[in-house]
Amino acid sequence: MSGSDYYDLNIHVLADGSSSVKQMLSVANHLGYSGIGITNHIDKEPPSDGSHEDIELVRGVGIEVRNSSKLHGLIGKYRKKVDVLVVHGGSESINRSAVENPNVDVLTNLPTGRDNGFNHVLAKSAHDNEVAIAFNLDAIIKQRGGRRVHALAHFRKNLQLARKYHVSTVLTSNAMSCYDIRAPGEMIALAGLFGMEKDEANAALSTIPERIIKRNRRNSSMPQGVRIIQYNGQELC
Amino acid sequence: MKVLPPTLRDPKRYLALELICEVRVSREDFLNEIFSNSAALIGDFGSSQAGIRLLDLNDNMGILRCKRGSEDLTRAILATITRVGGYPAIVNVLGIAGTVRSATEKYIEKRDSYSVPNDKHI
Repeated sequence: MSGSDYYDLNIHVLADGSSSVKQMLSVANHLGYSGIGITNHIDKEPPSDGSHEDIELVRGVGIEVRNSSKLHGLIGKYRKKVDVLVVHGGSESINRSAVENPNVDVLTNLPTGRDNGFNHVLAKSAHDNEVAIAFNLDAIIKQRGGRRVHALAHFRKNLQLARKYHVSTVLTSNAMSCYDIRAPGEMIALAGLFGMEKDEANAALSTIPERIIKRNRRNSSMPQGVRIIQYNGQELC
Repeated sequence: MKVLPPTLRDPKRYLALELICEVRVSREDFLNEIFSNSAALIGDFGSSQAGIRLLDLNDNMGILRCKRGSEDLTRAILATITRVGGYPAIVNVLGIAGTVRSATEKYIEKRDSYSVPNDKHI
């Protein structure tokens, strides 16, 4: 449990969600997170940057489109401004555009209805473009009955694809209120319901989100066309 | 009634937990939530195997007992609780121990109760 730095990269604050930045940071810090990513929808940007001495605020954005044609333009517009760029999944064409764009960090909110629009082809692209797949655990926390059954079944399937094609996975709360956050231990237990091993779930809450944040913080300070192939003696790419 | 010899008793685990909620939660409300969520997630059959029992709840801190091996499932059930007594709530598992005493000493004592800061003006 201890020793890891935990991050939740899909959190919505006012005016998107119902809690302020301060409340979110306080609750997340109390529950043991090292940082949270604020990913409000693009038309509902958070009013001001709050800060907290013990927990990191990662600036992000959540892009939700009905039509995949606008997606790439929006991604280009926000990429330089944020440290974590999240695309809300939808139809297969939206998901495909998202995983084919290396500027996307996380594909989240994959539909949990009959067709979730994710398959082996998209999994392969996600791996090639280093797009992570998010498991939004609010689907298990808030839903009951048939919907939750579908969500769990889809999560299990997506996890199987992610394992086979080595796609990064992250666990997120998709919190709209500060009461929607769950402590890392609970998130790991919930992930166990659809077959995630403890160490996998731990990585999906700590090292993988951390890597996404670091990758973008480094990129934003670099001129275009330059790529780091070695960092602190560690081979990248 | 004869007491069951220790070797025949089910091994237990004790979860120290904290409720993050605006109000002080009553034992009945919390129990209702635990059992309805447990029934929704793992059903009557699973619930009977997990052997969940709320031993103590005081000022939104409590001790919950479950069978050894069911700790993760119990945590998952607690995580699906979203409201208690009509108020939004988070159940935070502070730690798991093998006895009530160690759970209390390690995780409950010396711990201040927490409440969400209120800043409606923002």
